[in-house]
Amino acid sequence: MAQKNLLGKITEKLTESLLTLSGALTTIAILFITIFLFKEGFGLFKSPAIEDGYGLYVHPENPVNQLHPLDVKNMYDEEIINWNELGGANQEIMVFRIDDVFDYYTDEDLGENYSLLPEKLGYIISDHKNIIAYVPEEFAPSVTQGAKKVKVHNTTLSDFFLGKEWLPTATPSPLFGALPLILGTLLVSLIAIVLALPLGLGVAVYLSELADERMRKFLKPVIELLAGIPSVVYGFFGLVVVAPLVQKAFNLPVGETAFTGGLILAIMALPTIISVAEDAIRNTPTAMREASLALGATQWQTIYKVVIPYAGSGISAAAVLGIGRAVGETMAVLMITGNAAVIPSTIFEPVRTIPATIAAELGEAPSGGQHFQSLFLLGCILFLISMIISIVSEMISKKKTYKSL
Amino acid sequence: MKKIILGWLLILLYAGNLHAQRVKGSETVLPITQKAAENFIKSHPRTNVTVTGGGSGVGISSLMSGTTDIAQTSRRIKFDERKKIKFAGNNLREVEVAFDALAIVVHPSNKVSQLTREQLSGIFTGKIKNWKEVGGEDLKIIPYSRETSSGTYEFFKESVLKHKNFMSGIMSMPANGAVIQSVSQTRGAIAYVGLAYLSDKVKPLAVSYDSGKTFVKPSVESAKNKSYPIVRPLYYYYLSKDEAKVKNFIDYLLSPTGQKIVEETGYVPVS
Amino acid sequence: MNQKFKQKAAFFLFRLFSFFIVGILISILGFIVINGISVISWEFLTESPTDGMTSGGIFPAIVGTFYLVIGSLIFAVPLGVMSAIYTTEYAGNGFIVRFIRMMTNNLASVPSIVFGLFGMALFVNKLEFGDSILAGSLTLGLLTLPLIIRTSEEALKAVPDSYRSGSLALGASKLQTIRKVVLPTALPNILTGVILSIGRVSGETAPILFTVAAYFLPNLPQSIFDQAMALPYHLYVLATSGTDLEASRPMAYGTALVLITIVLIFNLMATFMRQRLNKKFKQN
Repeated sequence: MAQKNLLGKITEKLTESLLTLSGALTTIAILFITIFLFKEGFGLFKSPAIEDGYGLYVHPENPVNQLHPLDVKNMYDEEIINWNELGGANQEIMVFRIDDVFDYYTDEDLGENYSLLPEKLGYIISDHKNIIAYVPEEFAPSVTQGAKKVKVHNTTLSDFFLGKEWLPTATPSPLFGALPLILGTLLVSLIAIVLALPLGLGVAVYLSELADERMRKFLKPVIELLAGIPSVVYGFFGLVVVAPLVQKAFNLPVGETAFTGGLILAIMALPTIISVAEDAIRNTPTAMREASLALGATQWQTIYKVVIPYAGSGISAAAVLGIGRAVGETMAVLMITGNAAVIPSTIFEPVRTIPATIAAELGEAPSGGQHFQSLFLLGCILFLISMIISIVSEMISKKKTYKSL
Repeated sequence: MKKIILGWLLILLYAGNLHAQRVKGSETVLPITQKAAENFIKSHPRTNVTVTGGGSGVGISSLMSGTTDIAQTSRRIKFDERKKIKFAGNNLREVEVAFDALAIVVHPSNKVSQLTREQLSGIFTGKIKNWKEVGGEDLKIIPYSRETSSGTYEFFKESVLKHKNFMSGIMSMPANGAVIQSVSQTRGAIAYVGLAYLSDKVKPLAVSYDSGKTFVKPSVESAKNKSYPIVRPLYYYYLSKDEAKVKNFIDYLLSPTGQKIVEETGYVPVS
Repeated sequence: MNQKFKQKAAFFLFRLFSFFIVGILISILGFIVINGISVISWEFLTESPTDGMTSGGIFPAIVGTFYLVIGSLIFAVPLGVMSAIYTTEYAGNGFIVRFIRMMTNNLASVPSIVFGLFGMALFVNKLEFGDSILAGSLTLGLLTLPLIIRTSEEALKAVPDSYRSGSLALGASKLQTIRKVVLPTALPNILTGVILSIGRVSGETAPILFTVAAYFLPNLPQSIFDQAMALPYHLYVLATSGTDLEASRPMAYGTALVLITIVLIFNLMATFMRQRLNKKFKQN
């Protein structure tokens, strides 16, 4: 009898510790996500800006020793054409890639296993004072062979957050300017909220103040059904129906725009906004309503002068949660916003959002490379935004509880 | 109830099936691989071929991280990718499985029928902005591109743009099919797609690589006899240690039956 | 007079909004049902896709979704229910509980693509499960964990305290009380939460993009280390890839219809269960 009790006690204690551990589960998950995301993401700032295994080399007499990734890209795109724009001599820049070596030498000239390649590259570089050569480090000529390595700055914080060009696979040096992505995400979410908030608020008021029991029983499932439709289905609907409609209605060259994305996101955010706002409005004490009516106000005046201000914090929470939903949406946005990484000047242009970028590019980014890290950094931004939104909406709700006391 | 769940778990955990192989990568090669896999399974019942897209970059990246056995690509593997595989102690094998022509397409109502490489480069880098600059009507040019993971994107950049970057703000479509869809709906559109994706919803242009002396239209014949300038091989890459696993399927694809599938899908056979 | 007019206008507008919302739902559902119903057939539901995804069926995608849903529940339900038991029965009301609740809310608001990112980094790469049903299920399980926890907490809280005190008064230990009294009573509501999460998980695409999804599997997955097709991913590729988008379009509609049907059936099931259970509790 005593043994059974002991075994029972041990099992109990074990089970209880197991339960305690599972309680910590979500906290552990958040911790892990934070660690993984931030460790990988911030590695971007420590990685060399030039593609792994390659280097940039110039003539030893060239005064330029360091270059910014943006400069490198502009040089190779022929946007910067003279060395004096970078602090060098007044001469035209000659751009060279490893494949160009075959313009100077044949395969045999380079020896078996390309053993003569560094020497030949050295000749080419020393022959051209204005050259900049992008070659694999394995075959790079040394200083004695007539070349000098140029250091390229790492991507910095301001490069990432304020850079205007997102070219993650550009060679020789990719650019990770996330500003167009950040602005694209914000623009689409803004459009979504501007469309969804008035609509959602109106429906919430209707549901809580005006609708009879039958209407309510009918509308509630409708809203829940809207909430349940998967994101990819919304994307499909947007791609096949809404984008062509928008294109025709506004006479645009293309229907995949920020506006189209915002439109679909608004529909997706509506259920959240409606249910939270409706809860807030319903929780207004009847006493306040009756007092207002007793003073002679109409029902509508009561609503917009008394009820809505009282439910203000709840409504703000609804808006905040709606924004949160819109910002994190991936599939629908991927399919209908055109995915152009450009800072939008009007809402009728294609944009690229952060979630869509991650979804589109993650598969091809080699593990641990710069591109991979930059996508994690984008993930960090998303994660932070969602944390902030979650905390802010909680704080707003807490304020409400104190108020009602 | 518990027994049923346990039973299911055991079935699921059984890592059975010999000759299971995964092919991942290029959206361009995807139709070939899928059709070949379908037919291969029919004649080799104890095998399994998993096919996933995502783009050539995804394929090679997966080959490097070991999550695929064959990487299908529409571009040559890059030097640093080759190096990474070598550093990990593996040997890379490259097989050409088909040829593909890259067609330049516009909206069917577009009056322009031919462009030189220089004009194409200007259009896609954003320097040429209006169709009237190349002999068309006064209409803004809307270029479409593919995502950076696409081998088609890389090949176009290398061959037509000569390594220059696409204009910032160009629209990136996830796959060839989506490109066709968008071009067919947009009057000022211009895009590049694999030959197999041509349909009568879009109009292909004749291209000149010799500054306007000869213009050639894309077709399986002009790709075969190399008169069409934008032709590229399609590759399967695998690691030598997986040779036994993938040999059967690759040999099947290179056999006359397999190459017939290549041709039926709209690509150019290797022979 | 002016006020009455303003009220009439405002109320009319709000009524309009509500009908507008119904209209939106009808157009989305209608769009899919009308275009998809002609594609649905026994073959469509039981065969593999053929001819470059332009004919055949979507059976592997249905099976894949089924496996992923079961897999995610295997992880999320035991852990989620245990976590809920801890916070409602053991932890009291102090700082720790509020912190845990806040963390759960935070996890709930994380975008699905971030789960996909994390899942790929941890399960596919670091733990080297590769693209597999295992990695996908773990990622989806993590995604749905907050939902299960929340609904289980509500279910447990709804059990009257009198049940607990009665059981303890009869000499049972806390654990025995939970096992034999509280849990069974809360079970129907917990089940509602599970059903709700089935609906959610079936429709998720972003978390499975890089952890399990395959474009084409000629045979069904044989082990948890295999890749799988899944309905939402299948819809995505049908809508955007493939040589002949026009010809695959009917398949896409059919897939969308099957997906929506599954999702909506489970959502409605959960809603009705909840309504019925609430009535029962009110009666008590």
